[in-house]
Amino acid sequence: MLRPRPVRLLAELDTSGVALRSDELARIERTLGRAPSVVELHAFDAQWSEHCSYKSSRHHLKNLPTTGPRVVLGPAEDSGILHLGEHEGERYGIVIAHESHNHPSQVVPFEGAATGIGGIVRDVVCMGAEVIAVADPLRFGLVDDAQSHQRYVAQTAVDGISAYGNAIGVPNIAGDVYFDERFDDNCLVNVVAMGVVKESEIIHSYAPQGAAGWDIILVGKATDPSGFGGASFSSLTLDAADEESNKGAVQVPDPFLKNVLMRASYAVFGYLRQHNITAGFKDLGAGGIMGCSAEITSAGGYGADIDLDKVNVAIDSLKPEVIAIGETQERLIWVVPPAVTPQILRIYNDDFTLPQIAFNARAVVIGTVTQEKRYVLHYRGETVMNVDIDFLTGSIRDELPYEEIDVAREIVDEAPLVTGVQMDELLERVLSHRDVASREPLYRRYDSVVRGATVLPRGAGDAGVLAPVFGAPLGVALSVAGNPRYGRLNARAAGEHAVYEAVRKSVAVGARPIGLTDCLNFGNPRNPAHLGQFVASIEGLARAAGAFGTPFVSGNVSLYNESAGGNAVPASPIIACVGALTDVSTVVSTSLKQAGSVLYFIGTPQSALGGSVVIDVLGRHDPRLPAIDYDTVVPQHDMLLAAASANVLRAMHSIGNGGLLVALCEMAFPTLRRGIKPIGVQVDDPWQWTHGSVGDIEAFFGESGGFIVEVAAEDVEAFEGIADDIEGVHEIGVTIDQAVLAVDDEAFDLHRLRDMWMKPLREVYP
Amino acid sequence: MSKRIAVLVFPGTNSEEETLRLLRDCGGDAHLVHWSRASLLPKFDAYVLPGGFAYEDRIRAGAIAAHDEMMDYVIEGAREGKLVLGVCNGAQILLEAGLVPGTGEVRRPTAAFTRNGPVPHFICTHVWVKLAIDPARSPITAGLHRNELIPAWAAHGEGRLAADETHLRELDQNGHVAFVYAHPDGHVDASATPNQSALNAAALVNKEGNVLAIMPHPERDGWTFNHPDRRGRHGILEPSGGAVFFRSFVAGVHAR
Amino acid sequence: MKRSVAISLKIPDNAAYTTLTTLRRLGIDAARVERSEVWVVEDDGDERDFLARMESNETIFNPNKHRLVDLGIDRPRPGEVWIAERGAHDETREHLGGKRIAGISKARRYVGWRLVQSNGAPADDAVVRSAAELLLCNPATETALYEGSQ
Repeated sequence: MLRPRPVRLLAELDTSGVALRSDELARIERTLGRAPSVVELHAFDAQWSEHCSYKSSRHHLKNLPTTGPRVVLGPAEDSGILHLGEHEGERYGIVIAHESHNHPSQVVPFEGAATGIGGIVRDVVCMGAEVIAVADPLRFGLVDDAQSHQRYVAQTAVDGISAYGNAIGVPNIAGDVYFDERFDDNCLVNVVAMGVVKESEIIHSYAPQGAAGWDIILVGKATDPSGFGGASFSSLTLDAADEESNKGAVQVPDPFLKNVLMRASYAVFGYLRQHNITAGFKDLGAGGIMGCSAEITSAGGYGADIDLDKVNVAIDSLKPEVIAIGETQERLIWVVPPAVTPQILRIYNDDFTLPQIAFNARAVVIGTVTQEKRYVLHYRGETVMNVDIDFLTGSIRDELPYEEIDVAREIVDEAPLVTGVQMDELLERVLSHRDVASREPLYRRYDSVVRGATVLPRGAGDAGVLAPVFGAPLGVALSVAGNPRYGRLNARAAGEHAVYEAVRKSVAVGARPIGLTDCLNFGNPRNPAHLGQFVASIEGLARAAGAFGTPFVSGNVSLYNESAGGNAVPASPIIACVGALTDVSTVVSTSLKQAGSVLYFIGTPQSALGGSVVIDVLGRHDPRLPAIDYDTVVPQHDMLLAAASANVLRAMHSIGNGGLLVALCEMAFPTLRRGIKPIGVQVDDPWQWTHGSVGDIEAFFGESGGFIVEVAAEDVEAFEGIADDIEGVHEIGVTIDQAVLAVDDEAFDLHRLRDMWMKPLREVYP
Repeated sequence: MSKRIAVLVFPGTNSEEETLRLLRDCGGDAHLVHWSRASLLPKFDAYVLPGGFAYEDRIRAGAIAAHDEMMDYVIEGAREGKLVLGVCNGAQILLEAGLVPGTGEVRRPTAAFTRNGPVPHFICTHVWVKLAIDPARSPITAGLHRNELIPAWAAHGEGRLAADETHLRELDQNGHVAFVYAHPDGHVDASATPNQSALNAAALVNKEGNVLAIMPHPERDGWTFNHPDRRGRHGILEPSGGAVFFRSFVAGVHAR
Repeated sequence: MKRSVAISLKIPDNAAYTTLTTLRRLGIDAARVERSEVWVVEDDGDERDFLARMESNETIFNPNKHRLVDLGIDRPRPGEVWIAERGAHDETREHLGGKRIAGISKARRYVGWRLVQSNGAPADDAVVRSAAELLLCNPATETALYEGSQ
């Protein structure tokens, strides 16, 4: 029998850490017909938090395209799945998930970032997949001051990602980092995980048909008080005082346990396949045991009856609401027929010895799936929660007002920019800009090649590439994008450009972009201007994704990225793109391959310099972001993919931060290594390809997109055949056997330029 | 009878699958053996300790794993002359277990692969290693050419060889340094060494030659798809590059 | 003058747990193992704000996960062994995470281990020494400091 403990709800709100609003509480009381128990109060608080319910964002997200011939599973479960290709009659899917761990990383950067990786990996594992890669789009504050908190966050979050990802043995193959003072108080630590699964062997995050009476098995770390209040924590605004009062919310990562847990789960997958058993499997995230068990059962049309006394705990004195809702890491839930339970417990507890790996870690049956759609929790002989499960997990909605964003229509001078700065000085300043400088000092801390399946590790291509199915020539690419300099200027365009850049990076390795994930990092949705940016970004994302035919299969929303002082992050729609290669031997890398090749620029120079690095370097202003002409760009991408398949591209690089000359430098720098021959570049006078449509600064430093490709002399005819009829293909120069970047009649020493490019992040990541 | 190779999986190992596959692609009859099945180990003819973070390298890399029950069997097998190869974390475990360089008592290390220099951070970077001993000095390297250059990935936070000065001299003079870091043209100097390892050492071998500990991972550059620049000469799915090292190991196992 | 602090985790210490189970497997009698980062520093600053100054360096101390205590003495107490790394690392730079602390000119870092018996008393010297020799200290690269050792 339910004997709710009376609580003085509204009065307690200030002290209990509960973030539910009074109208939501009233609704709960009305529906239950009584005051909720303490456990119920915390359960609704977690389940109805923005983090779990997407209450103020979901109705906007439905505007994103989510269907297409490659979509095996759209955004409904813990991860989305895209069809990669076939090999020997098997269809292979790429499982992908994308999340943020922003707030925890600002407060306890090592643990916050590490548990970000840990959580996203579980989202992929629980689809029955083997985890094959992670990626980490990062946004930090300005780090120039070695004594600053921002520097500490930027260094320590990277250490956390490195420590966790390396130890579990999943290569980090893609990522980016930007530094901007608007992230001083709110870093963004986004994480992407990717897995591979045979499409016939996908495990879903819901109780399968006929599951009434099945066992609910909790697997993993012993439940402890860590991470209690996490779901609402991430939906609250951060300020200095909160850092202390929220310390109970520190989530403790254990990559050692996770490493074993993943391998044990792979063994369980094998067992289930062998015996042809369908089961449900889901990661514990926000809302802990309650959130996971309620969602996995309600999604199958069932209820759940759970005995909290059966949960393996780290300490005895835990309150029921902490056991039920706390967010102890490294846990998953299975829903399986009772007949196979002993075997699953044996695999985790005996074969993979979980209890010896971490204190009281294990797999244990905690309850059953019920036909009746109630969610019931027992604790020490009492029923501490008994609610309609659909009311708990069903959609709540918060339609908040927002402002249409209004991009100022400033009068701009269309004339070419004149700087008065020498070309070599400008190039050096752009190359050493914080958003352009080499990322190698950061990413060399990540294992990019564990699992032995890496084709292009971090730095070798615009996207990371793997051969995910051993013995098959299939390739998969992963790229990320999202430019905060654009986010500052125009949220809608930032969304469009994020998709465009992620797609462009996939094309640049010869991989056809097949689908996307998004993590939408914004300020406070209760601020109509911030919510307006969110809505506008979605419009931009939808526009670009529709044009490129790349649907969204999973995603995440992170709101309240705002400090008490009102410093909100720039609109930050961050995108990951999955690309497919039928034959990984057609992959294209960034590095130049030989002297005597012809270099082509594929793209259209534009006069808009808004959001560019060169404008920032010069301290100028330009409100215009480059336009994206999909009718021109899409055929260019198709042409480049065809040329890559025909093996006529020796090297390819997309043009991004810093523009065309930076892209050329980045193609030449990897050849400056002792023991191999350096390859330099001779670039023609830009008039040759702009015909005066833009000035030299715009041609060399503009960021309107496009590509550079290297075509060997013997392949020029084949390439020009493929590129025939394609708009915007310009021959711009040749590769040479000297370590210089020669522009018209000036020559710059590539070694010197490389040193400028390497230096800034080496100081932050020595 | 085919000689059987055990690929040991400690809790926290993470490179077992690719190591197993490359050994098999190089003709080895290789099998995974998990820690809960340690007692199977005596039946195998050779042991490979793959990379990873056994016991998450708690205390020090390899320190706890060196005391794992599986190591009792490995130590026994090494004494009997079985071939033992440790890669990366496997190498660290062999040093902690005292099997390499083998100049002291068992489980009383005389040298260590310890925290990288000049900054004590994990690094992941492509390297070349050069055979620094007579190939015949060890059955594991007998299939390689003198001064052979092998591509590999360094991916470790604790890969810097350290020991006291006298001992380092001994290691150098008695041919314990099996591989050194090198530039792609074979030149050896400190700038080719990513972690300030003493003697530029990338790998050590014991006196008898049957136990070898190598820090960088040849198996991560072991197929053509790992290094697409080789695709003109080899099929994309073929073993190539670092596979030469594993071929030599497998040949050594078969020759015992 | 020389001052010293110990910084330990107030969130669960997974490494200490694994160490305990390994020591027990090796036949070493301990009921609890505590691990801390010990800093022995040369400090010319004001003694009264010493702890506050140490706590101000977030690369070594984060209040959300650490607790910091003034040790008072610069050598191990009963039941403790401190492990120091020999070698070429630039101590101040590395050990203070590249961040300065006002008044502090030198810093030496140790990993401090404390073994506790089931009755709560510190483990005997012989037990601590065998734990260090078997597991906690690699004699090739590290030095162990015990109570009373110089």
